[in-house]
Amino acid sequence: MHRSKALAALALTTALTTGGAAGAAEIQLMRFFGDCQNDYGSVNDASEANGECGIITALVNEFNATNQGGHTVTVQTAEWGAYYDLLTATFQTGNIPDVAVMHSSVMPDFVSRDLLTPLGPLFQEAGIDTADFVPAALQNASANDEVYALPFDLHALLFHINVDLMEQAGFVNEDGTVRLPTSPEEFIEMGKQFEEATGQNFIAVESQSAEGMMVRFFNSLVWQQGSTTLADDGTSANLNGPEALAAATFIKQIYDEGLADPGLDYPGAEQAFLNGQAGIIINGTWVVDSYNAQAEGGSVPLQNYVATNVPALMGEEAVWADSHMWVIPRDESRAPEEQEAAVAFLTFLNDNNFEWSRTGHLSVRQSVIDSPEFAALPHRANISNTSQIARAVPTTQNQRSIYNAIMSDFNAMWLTGAEPQAALDSAQSQVERILRRANRGG
Amino acid sequence: MTAARSGWALWGDRLLLAVTVLVAILWLLPVIWVVAMSLKPNAVLQQSTWGFIPMPFTLENYANLLQLATVPRWLVNSLIVAVGMTLLVLVVSSLAGYAFARLQFPFKRAIFVLMIAGLMIPEQAVFLPLHQMFASWGIHNTHAALMMPRVAVPIGVFLMMQFFRAVPRELEEAAELDHASRFTIFWRIMLPLSVPALTTLGLFTFIHAWNDFLWPLVSATDADMYTVTVGLASIQGNFAFTEGLGSVMASAVFASLPIVLLFLIFQRFIVAGVAMSAGK
Amino acid sequence: MTASPQARSVPLAEPRTRAPRHRVRRRDWLTALLFLAPFMAVYLVLLVYPLFLGIWISFRDWDLMGGDYGWVGTLNYQDLWTDRNFWAAARNTLWFVALTVPSMTLIALLLALAVHGPGRIRAICRSVFFLSSVFSVTVVTLVWAMVLSPDRGLIAPVVQFLGGTPVNFLGSPTWAMPAIVVTTLWWGVGLPMALFLAALGSIPKELYEAAELDHASRWSVFWRITLPSIRHTLILVVVLQIVGQFQIFGQPFLMTQGGPANSTRTLVQYIYETSFRDWLVGYGAAMAMVLFVLMMLFSMLQLWLGRQGDDR
Repeated sequence: MHRSKALAALALTTALTTGGAAGAAEIQLMRFFGDCQNDYGSVNDASEANGECGIITALVNEFNATNQGGHTVTVQTAEWGAYYDLLTATFQTGNIPDVAVMHSSVMPDFVSRDLLTPLGPLFQEAGIDTADFVPAALQNASANDEVYALPFDLHALLFHINVDLMEQAGFVNEDGTVRLPTSPEEFIEMGKQFEEATGQNFIAVESQSAEGMMVRFFNSLVWQQGSTTLADDGTSANLNGPEALAAATFIKQIYDEGLADPGLDYPGAEQAFLNGQAGIIINGTWVVDSYNAQAEGGSVPLQNYVATNVPALMGEEAVWADSHMWVIPRDESRAPEEQEAAVAFLTFLNDNNFEWSRTGHLSVRQSVIDSPEFAALPHRANISNTSQIARAVPTTQNQRSIYNAIMSDFNAMWLTGAEPQAALDSAQSQVERILRRANRGG
Repeated sequence: MTAARSGWALWGDRLLLAVTVLVAILWLLPVIWVVAMSLKPNAVLQQSTWGFIPMPFTLENYANLLQLATVPRWLVNSLIVAVGMTLLVLVVSSLAGYAFARLQFPFKRAIFVLMIAGLMIPEQAVFLPLHQMFASWGIHNTHAALMMPRVAVPIGVFLMMQFFRAVPRELEEAAELDHASRFTIFWRIMLPLSVPALTTLGLFTFIHAWNDFLWPLVSATDADMYTVTVGLASIQGNFAFTEGLGSVMASAVFASLPIVLLFLIFQRFIVAGVAMSAGK
Repeated sequence: MTASPQARSVPLAEPRTRAPRHRVRRRDWLTALLFLAPFMAVYLVLLVYPLFLGIWISFRDWDLMGGDYGWVGTLNYQDLWTDRNFWAAARNTLWFVALTVPSMTLIALLLALAVHGPGRIRAICRSVFFLSSVFSVTVVTLVWAMVLSPDRGLIAPVVQFLGGTPVNFLGSPTWAMPAIVVTTLWWGVGLPMALFLAALGSIPKELYEAAELDHASRWSVFWRITLPSIRHTLILVVVLQIVGQFQIFGQPFLMTQGGPANSTRTLVQYIYETSFRDWLVGYGAAMAMVLFVLMMLFSMLQLWLGRQGDDR
């Protein structure tokens, strides 16, 4: 295909023109976000790309085409579910990437085993201003007073809304804003009205066991009640207290009342929402741009799309959030010029933080947040305060297994009809075992 | 069963055969469907996946596949690993099988029992320690690392031993009188005789190696070192399933071609070999 | 003179070989060592040693990334008692084996009976039924995940045509495991079928001819002649199936990731996750040992049952 030929030619020219430059290096980038080489393999301008996968692919292309050092970034992608297993494995099997994406919730596992390169001095050298990061982001990227990662975004859970369907159910105020429930009771009540009026599901959400979207919702609801599922010091779990029970009971009720289809997986839930078969999809910030583009493009039945914060249903506003960050995994055998190239790439990513925030993610740079371009992005007015209400799980190791343990017990509530208390007790015992391991003396 | 039989029995036979053929067609249907999907444009598949005839027809999925160069690369890895493993298993098993069948040595029985006990050790009991060992040796992400753990297969030795035992002694004794060395006897007389057994063992090893999943999944983490099996697993999640369905199907078909061809060529050895390994 | 059984079959040769035997013996000794060395080396280093290393690791707090945190006694095994996911995985694995082994054996036998015999059509059918077992697990699961899909699958339109509502097989805790069993049957029936075919082919024709003279019905021929003749193969198939199916990993790992709601997570997948996702290699090794013992018990039980029949 001519596209990749052009790309090869381009790579060749780059190599020829800059190959002689001292310190040009080829570095490995490992990431999730999907593979869209077919659509964006030849896009060299990130501003022309859309969606997480498209923008990161184009960013890498743009870096390869324009960077002064003549560095080349080659990409290895992994599926979301397998990514950390693969990244972990590279430390054992010896093809450690030079740059890798990492969630802040996962970073403690790596930091505690000294597997990441401290970045503070490197950032200083490269002129990356850590003071420009919003405090939550900087905190996410730091451990033991050292910066270990370049924060790239904050991502939170949102309610994505089909306004036309909400209007049909009578849930649109006179000023055009959508009326959202303020309590679990109202939520269920509105859901019933909605389904009566529209004949569609009130909620679409990933309900199988791959993503755990409802675990994020559950965490948010517990935080809204002023409680937490995990103690802040990460040594104990509180999954079967009254707050957790209230949240779990409410979530089970959503399914029991038929307000959501428990059979939907992630693509299925998206399909349902885009096809106009659901009023609200509970999903992250990462899809705002993509839903918006599809709704505006007219290629899907969804036409009038709005994104909002998860409403305060159980008290104060609070919502689950995590952070994508870039790290340089520790590798004793890495050549200095490769490390230099890695830092140059991180600098480039940081400079283009705005492009990434177009996905719908919240920018981590105060200067971007304050910029007019950012304010002009669609739907940002509704979610401008999301980073203030965002809550992250406490810094503890083995967050992934904790998450998975909660998820599988939790899903049993709507998939096999388990009682909330039983599901929570089970999750509690699993998480306690995991925490005991995570907090081992060594 | 060939003697004269009543009309009822004959019709019964025919009915049975017809049902069998019907089941066979149903059996094959998923494969035909997948091949058909691999030959349809992705845009069409997004609307509907139904149908067994690739209309409209396109080879674009396969063209894209070859363009990406990853799948051919995985194919080469799989071939290297499967062929290498097969050869090693054949060498190691036939040598040891011959020793057990024909040679006298101290503790023969004890060593034999030790080997047979190995039949009981499943891959899963050793893959974690093996992974740690290979990590400390720093040999993950090599073809050797993908082959080695499957080279010591007691069943292969057992099979070869059974075969060599069935070879009449007289054939060797003439050579023994000529003072030929054991290895010459093994190489010149026994091995040529054991081609059917070697073929069977080789085929099963090859299929097993080709389809191995758990070990390559943990050992080959560099996309350049993936075998077809692991590579396909990685793109199943990676390609957006809805958009690239045809491409995913094309890669599955493409990756299966070598093993299917091998099967079609050698299929009679497989059934014959099973008969032998059943060890009657 | 010699204890080896094979020597008995060639008595004629003995007088001639007796004379040089003492000389040959010593050489044999060394030769045997050379013949055995490659196998034994690989066998000891890559199978026997790892087995014991695994046992040792299972008593340690061994971290995938952080290395060895030291001896923890039987803590890993104690934790298994209270680990609900482990028990669920064990239950799922046993459930899968219980569903798969009998149906696989039965279907393999039925298919073997159906395609056994002369003729081109039967030969082609034999190939077809065996063909599916050469595909890799990734391809098989890809095909079946598609076939079973409620909106894009092969089964759903048929169900709809018959007036039913398509079931989301892989999304239902009740149906996910049976769906994986069906996938496994399609994939794995070739080998046991071939084993049965081999056994059927070796039944002496005379037995059937005698039965025909007696005007015995097909049914009674099957029970009186066929089944007893292939009894050993039947036991072999069942044992091989038990050992093989206990190790199930790829199908649920790729089709359902162990879900929905833990209903298809098997032991090997849990071992994999514990070791490579949670980095608890020591804990994973303890699970691997439990799986090892379980498999051994079941196949020994099966062999013992088979031998009971022999004594009668």
